[in-house]
Amino acid sequence: MHLAMMKPGQQGKIVHIGTAVGPIKRRLMDMGVLAGEPVRVEKVAPLGDPIEVTIKGYNLSLRKKEAEGIEVEVTP
Amino acid sequence: MTEQTPHTANDAVSSAAPRPLVVAVAGNPNVGKSTLINAIAGTRLQVGNWPGVTVEKKEALFEHNGRKIRLVDLPGTYSLSPYTQEEIIARDYLVKLRPDLIVNVVDATNLERNLYLTVQLMELGIPVVMALNIYDEAEAKGYRFNLHGIETMLGVGVVPTSATRRSGLTELLDKVLETAAQPADHAPRILNYGDDVETAVALLGDTLRREHPALFALYPERWLLLRLMEGDERLRQEINLAQDALPEEIFHHLRRGHGEDLEALMADARYSQAAGLAREVLFKKEERRVEMTERIDRVVLNRFLGIPIFLAAMWLVFKLTFDLSKPFGDWINDMAGGPFKHWTTVLLGLVGAPDWTVSLATEGVISGVGFVLVFVPVIFMMMFFITFLEGSGYMARAAFVMDRAMHAMGLHGKSFIPLLLGFGCNVPGIYATRTLENPRDKVLTALLIPLMSCGARLPVYVLFVGAFFPNNPGTVIWSLYVLGIALAIVMGVFFKRTLFRGEAPMFIMELPPYRMPSFTSLCLHTWEKGKHFLIKAGTYILAVSIFVWFLLNLPWGVEHKKDSYLGQAGQVMAPVLSPLGFGTWQAASSLITGVIAKEIVVGTMGEIYAPKKGEQKKPEASFGEDLQEIAVSFGKAVKESASNVVSTFGVSSLAADEKEDRGPLKATIQQTFTPLSAYAFMVFVLLYMPCVVVAIAMRQEFGSWKWFGVAFAYQSALAWGMAMIVYQGGQLLGWGV
Ligand SMILES: Nc1nc2c(ncn2[C@@H]2O[C@H](COP(=O)(O)OP(=O)(O)OP(=O)(O)O)[C@@H](O)[C@H]2O)c(=O)[nH]1
Ligand SMILES: [Mg+2]
Repeated sequence: MHLAMMKPGQQGKIVHIGTAVGPIKRRLMDMGVLAGEPVRVEKVAPLGDPIEVTIKGYNLSLRKKEAEGIEVEVTP
Repeated sequence: MTEQTPHTANDAVSSAAPRPLVVAVAGNPNVGKSTLINAIAGTRLQVGNWPGVTVEKKEALFEHNGRKIRLVDLPGTYSLSPYTQEEIIARDYLVKLRPDLIVNVVDATNLERNLYLTVQLMELGIPVVMALNIYDEAEAKGYRFNLHGIETMLGVGVVPTSATRRSGLTELLDKVLETAAQPADHAPRILNYGDDVETAVALLGDTLRREHPALFALYPERWLLLRLMEGDERLRQEINLAQDALPEEIFHHLRRGHGEDLEALMADARYSQAAGLAREVLFKKEERRVEMTERIDRVVLNRFLGIPIFLAAMWLVFKLTFDLSKPFGDWINDMAGGPFKHWTTVLLGLVGAPDWTVSLATEGVISGVGFVLVFVPVIFMMMFFITFLEGSGYMARAAFVMDRAMHAMGLHGKSFIPLLLGFGCNVPGIYATRTLENPRDKVLTALLIPLMSCGARLPVYVLFVGAFFPNNPGTVIWSLYVLGIALAIVMGVFFKRTLFRGEAPMFIMELPPYRMPSFTSLCLHTWEKGKHFLIKAGTYILAVSIFVWFLLNLPWGVEHKKDSYLGQAGQVMAPVLSPLGFGTWQAASSLITGVIAKEIVVGTMGEIYAPKKGEQKKPEASFGEDLQEIAVSFGKAVKESASNVVSTFGVSSLAADEKEDRGPLKATIQQTFTPLSAYAFMVFVLLYMPCVVVAIAMRQEFGSWKWFGVAFAYQSALAWGMAMIVYQGGQLLGWGV
């Protein structure tokens, strides 16, 4: 299960930042996207991409392509 | 400003005045660094509620308690990694120029993520003072901070501030001076990143001290070691260290325990320090409130409403811009053409100046500048709304909503912002491409910016629309903007498939909470943006108006403007333009001068078509009467503008009737153009080459004329092609009357 598969309103926990590499991975980590971090999907943009999530108490938007590289497990 | 040597230690030589204290202001994007500096030093650095407003470092010099302080506004960064241009600027400054002190501006509503940067700043060994900014919002959310806790745990001074309300500023400066007086006592704590990391750092330190001791004179020790350990390629190359110069067993050990990715290990280590600290010092109530930002976003970013709202917002901005500003533009026009010219003529007559100077003053200077000044209200109004969009936080939403579409053109949602700024003036748009991380995005965005119809093109549209489409001016102008956007999409896709094949960029952006920008700050920043246009109108357009006047009146004593130098050039070019419906030397000459700045097209037309002097002499009025007239008509303009707002919202049409005549220029162009050729002409003006200032900006940003050349070539082709299609197509459809 990866972040792009989560629906708006769903909550989860980051398991692993997988396929994203190099600058993208570093950028995500610098912005607090780290294994173990709780995350909640807030919205999908009107045109279907990107998505908006809450992490570490702030709102972050990222494309589905990047979100696909972030493995999550959904928490109820 | 861009000294290459550190300004610590040895440049205090110039004895008399003590060297100013150099204070770097660093922090995450959008935490209020620029606002804080503006509040402290009275500067007018650009501010906006979206990440990435400041893209180069800016400085401000001022005094506090008799001590000179130089504040350096660094671009906002989430980290000191070497990946984005902002990060590189910030870290090069901090590491190489070593300020005396760092003021770390921290968003109190977002403590943990901000502390992640704080932790990295502390590695530099420079004294840090933390400004816990946006404290007002944090308090409103019910957050409480243990300030003393932060101070003791980090070894940095902490002062709560609210830059927008100007509170905490004196305390912050006092703390800065106090810290700077005893730098040795205020070294930040060295945080423990875990035994494995610390052992590795110690080992690496031993090796480097043995083999490359010189490095420690150039770089802060702990910072150097940590960065090398996590595999910072940029740093390694900068210090010319071979990949295998570092003892492999250190990394081997770490990798066995923590996996391949040492960058991830360090991000984790730093974030756990930040998280631990935030847990200790910040108390918030654990209820999940639905905040204003969330409520607004539910509507504004709604699946179905998002795009319509975005388009409606853009439409409203244009509509309000034009409706509000038009009466004032008319007023300036009347003043320049009437009393102003009249009194200049009278005065010059009194001192016995020769006729040609009267002509130069009235036809060259007053008309030229007057024609441009007419558009000052429009430009300022537009800048006002753009400033509002920036300040409120909607810009970032616009990027979010538009990213998918931008992505299709091979761009980034953030490219949307430079493109949008391009509507005001292409030049700041070009500079704003710096917020993009990837060089490819930058160039591609910059190439498309000239298709955004800038404020300087408006004068041309307003003139022609007034003459040919008085019944629906807004719609016609809007159609030109849309055409520009549509062509940008087409060209974007085209470039993506040709010149810019390859990896599309990432989109990872923070969405800030909505904020209501204060009216004073709105006005201030509107003024800062609009000022450029004013200065341009005041100086360089004045110079060009005079130059054009000479081109039009030389060789000396020409009878017909057609035979002047400019007219001759226009005649040469005219045949090229005839398939477009405006193959006259007048149109061609105006377009030639428009290369310098597009608003000049109108000025030149004014010059060419201007009636012989004397024709418009009013009956003699006394100076007093004229003054009264000026005041009365200004009052009318205010009233008209206000009633236009009312009619914008469709309440009723209170707007005063259109004044039937805006001068002889309109009448003359009505004779030489048809509505169809007028539209083709506007299309041409929209598209043909970017102005000289844009050319210079592109050259500055990309270091060569190459990309300007590309822009020039494709735009010329596009302008000619589109205007031709409009004109010939329109004729086929029988609109050519
Ligand atoms: N409520 C509140 N808002 C603030 C405060 N300080 C700044 N702001 C707002 O925060 C936003 C960002 O301010 P800027 O000064 O542009 O931030 P910056 O840190 O320079 O941002 P970058 O240049 O993008 O790195 C603006 O909308 C400010 O009005 C504050 O103390 N309280
Ligand atoms: Mg700034």
